Order: sequence, then C-alpha cells, then structure tokens
Amino acid sequence: MKTLAAPPAGGRTWSDLDEFQSFIDAGGMVEPDDEMPGEYRSEVFRFIEFHANSELMGGLTERDWIPHAPGLRLKQIFLAKTQDEIGHAHLLYMVGADMGIKTRTEMLEDLFDGRSRFHNVFHYQAVTWADQVAIAFLVDAAAFASQRAVFAECTYGPYKRVLKRIVAEEGFHMRHGEEMLLRIATGTPTQHEMFQAALDRWWWPAVQLFGPDSPPGDVDPLIRWKIKSERNEVLRHAYVQKYVPLLHGYGFEIPDAELRRDDDGQWQIGEIDWAPLKATMRNGGPDSARRIRTAADNWADTSWVREALA
Amino acid sequence: MISAATTPRDTAAQPLDDAVRSAVATVPDPEYPDVSIVDLGLLESVRLETQVGGEVVAHVGLIPTFGGCPALAMIAADVRRAVESAEGIDRCDVDWLAGPVWSPDRMTRGARRTLADDYTVVLRHKDGGLRCPVCGSDDVDDLSMVGPTRCRSVAWCTSCRNAVEVMRN
Repeated sequence: MKTLAAPPAGGRTWSDLDEFQSFIDAGGMVEPDDEMPGEYRSEVFRFIEFHANSELMGGLTERDWIPHAPGLRLKQIFLAKTQDEIGHAHLLYMVGADMGIKTRTEMLEDLFDGRSRFHNVFHYQAVTWADQVAIAFLVDAAAFASQRAVFAECTYGPYKRVLKRIVAEEGFHMRHGEEMLLRIATGTPTQHEMFQAALDRWWWPAVQLFGPDSPPGDVDPLIRWKIKSERNEVLRHAYVQKYVPLLHGYGFEIPDAELRRDDDGQWQIGEIDWAPLKATMRNGGPDSARRIRTAADNWADTSWVREALA
Repeated sequence: MISAATTPRDTAAQPLDDAVRSAVATVPDPEYPDVSIVDLGLLESVRLETQVGGEVVAHVGLIPTFGGCPALAMIAADVRRAVESAEGIDRCDVDWLAGPVWSPDRMTRGARRTLADDYTVVLRHKDGGLRCPVCGSDDVDDLSMVGPTRCRSVAWCTSCRNAVEVMRN
C-alpha cells in the first residue's frame, strides 16, 4: 500500500502536464498544497462532491426508516448507519470544500436546489421494509465495490485517507446487509415474496450504479488521473458474478429474461436500458423531487442550529 | 450461567487459556479490519470451565468501546466462532461486561500506530491537544463532537489540510 504520510511542507510544482502525469503514473499522491492541473482539481472535486451528496442523501433515507425497522436490533443498526453516512458526508464535504471550488454551503445549496448529482439509487422510493433489505444487501454492496476501486488508486491524498475509513465502515454495513437478507430469505413465504418484489425494483438500479462502460483506453480523466482504478464494466461484471449465484441460492429470481451463463461459466446480463440512469442524473428519477425537497426542508428546518452555533 | 460442577483454573489450564486469548486476538474490529480487538483493549477476561460431561466452555469477557455500539453482536459472533475453532474448546460464551469502562488507554502502542498511520485516527493528549497523524503538526482544530461513529469525533489539520478523527474518551 502507498504510504498515507504527507510530503514535507510546501507544495510541489510541475514544469508541465507531462511531468504531473508521470508523477501520477509512478504512484505519486497529490496533496492540497501541490500544484494541480485545472482539470485534475475539477475532476477530483466533482467526484468528491458527488460522493458527499450521495452519502448525505443515503443517510437521510436510512434515517426515515429508523422508526419502521422491525425490532430494536435493526433500529440500532439503522441509527448507526445513519450516523455513519452523515459523518462520511461531513468528512467528504470538508475535503471537497478545501479544494477551493465551492464552499460546503454552496455544495449543499446546489444539492437542495436540484443543481447537483447524487447516486442513482437514491432517486427511487423504498416501498416496504424489504426494499431496505435489498438496499442494504445489493445497493450497499455495489457502492462498496465502486468505492473500494476508487480507494485502490485514488491519487488525491486527503480523499484517500477519508476513503480508508469509509471503505472499512461500508464493509461493516455489508455484513449487516447479509444478516438482514438471511433473516428475510429464510423467513415466511410472505417475506420471501416481499424480497422478490423488492429485488425486482432494485436489481437494475444496482447494476446501473456502476455507470455505462468506461470510454476506451484512458479517455476518461478519472482513469487517466488514477482517481478510479477500475473500469465501470469490469466492476459491474464482477458484481454480477458474485450476486447472481447468491440470490439464486436463496431461491430468488433475477428480473432479467436475458440473463444467461456463457461458455466460460460467466454470467451475462441482458442489455441495460440507460434511460433510467440518465433521468436520475438530471434529478428526474421517480422519487428525485420528493427526496430533494425533503433534504431541502431538513436544511431549512435546522437553520436555527447553525445560527445558534455561529 | 454457572454450571453445577466447575473446576477452578489451574496451571494445567494455562496453555488452553493462552489458546483462547490467541483465538480472540485473531478477531479484527469490524471498522478497522487490520486491528485486533485485543489490541484495541476489548478483551477483559477469560475463564475456562469443564462441565460434568467433560465439555470445556470458554467464558470470554469483553468490554465495548461505547455502549450501544452497533458492532457488538457481530464482534461477539466472531469471537465465538474463533474460540470454538480452537483445539480443546467445545463451546464459547461471550459476555459484554459492564465494567471496567473502556478508555483509549487500553489500546496497545501498535493499535495506536495503525490507527494513526493507516486510518488518520488519533488519541487526544493528556493536556487535551491533538497532533496530526499525517504531518505531525499541532495545528489541529476540533470541528465536531460527533463523527461517523459513536467512538470518534472530527477534527481538521490546518497545516496539511486533512480530516482527522479522534477517539473519544
């Protein structure tokens, strides 16, 4: 693993873009005081802002389900997960704001005014408790896989340091997701049906979470600058290989008529319709408006706390 | 939980006692996958008991870093699994003890170093100050008493501009 220790004080400078790229290619880690090409700074910032927004929106959703969680143990898990996600958002907004492109308040106001993006999965409504199980088991796992792939490279030091803790905590959430799935999957026929219905709603958003195939070569600046270590389609494929047999093992059906196993024993999913993902990226998903409004109301309702602390 | 017949721990049981401790030491903290719960100071006691039928039961007493920690059930299950796979142990009971109360002093030097170097998580000095685990500066400002977990608060190093988390007492 790359060392997480910072370089001596005073930033590094580069004679040209090639020198910066060579530094990145040699496994170098960029620190806040270092000179950064404009595109690097804006790409890293955009990525962190998206991640922070997603943690915040995810945390607010989980918060809504604390009263509905069946039993004290699950309420405790949801309380803790909510604190985790909001805490992660806090850390990420700090690191993002430090990059000097937007302040934390600007990022939040952009989010609440519908001008920012966040993960596609938070643009859908969770209908029953089984949806929360599907989110914890399927969606958290997809998010975990993609975050882990970012952590594996991640050339921006302060983000990598925060990711280290986030990835560890998301791994912990995944174990909770497995526990929740085990309960519902081995429960009554009604519970089984409830989860199947939830799986029908969440399978495609989870698969789409990885995004469309990455452009060829290093066209994607996130790959060129080693902010991401793995291509979207590779992550998605690995995810499908793991989750299809797991879900089949519990007797659930994947809502994909074209799903098949190829000659190499690899699971191949049907063609992905990207229109729903694109809609969520314009904040035009099925539940986008309500979610953003709820988050905005929450921000407005808590203004007195910020005023009292100022 | 005391069975009808128990044998007190004697010197002959020492290797078994060590085996239980070693097994517990293989269990990582769910939030720090490369730090053992023993190094975090969670293990308080091990007691061995041989029951009437000859079954050997290990009673492992743990203390939580924070009450209401969502990882307790998971840690207990992991400890049970690890100890029950140790040779000579038939069953393991895990008890969360009400005391002593956990404090960061219970962490080993190694655990502190790993938390600082790999997780950017530090302990507060006796005088209340904080040192940045990234750059070593003392210019670390407390920002929020509440962090992503119950056992940590959030601070910011104004020197190297990194988010630092602090183990709470």
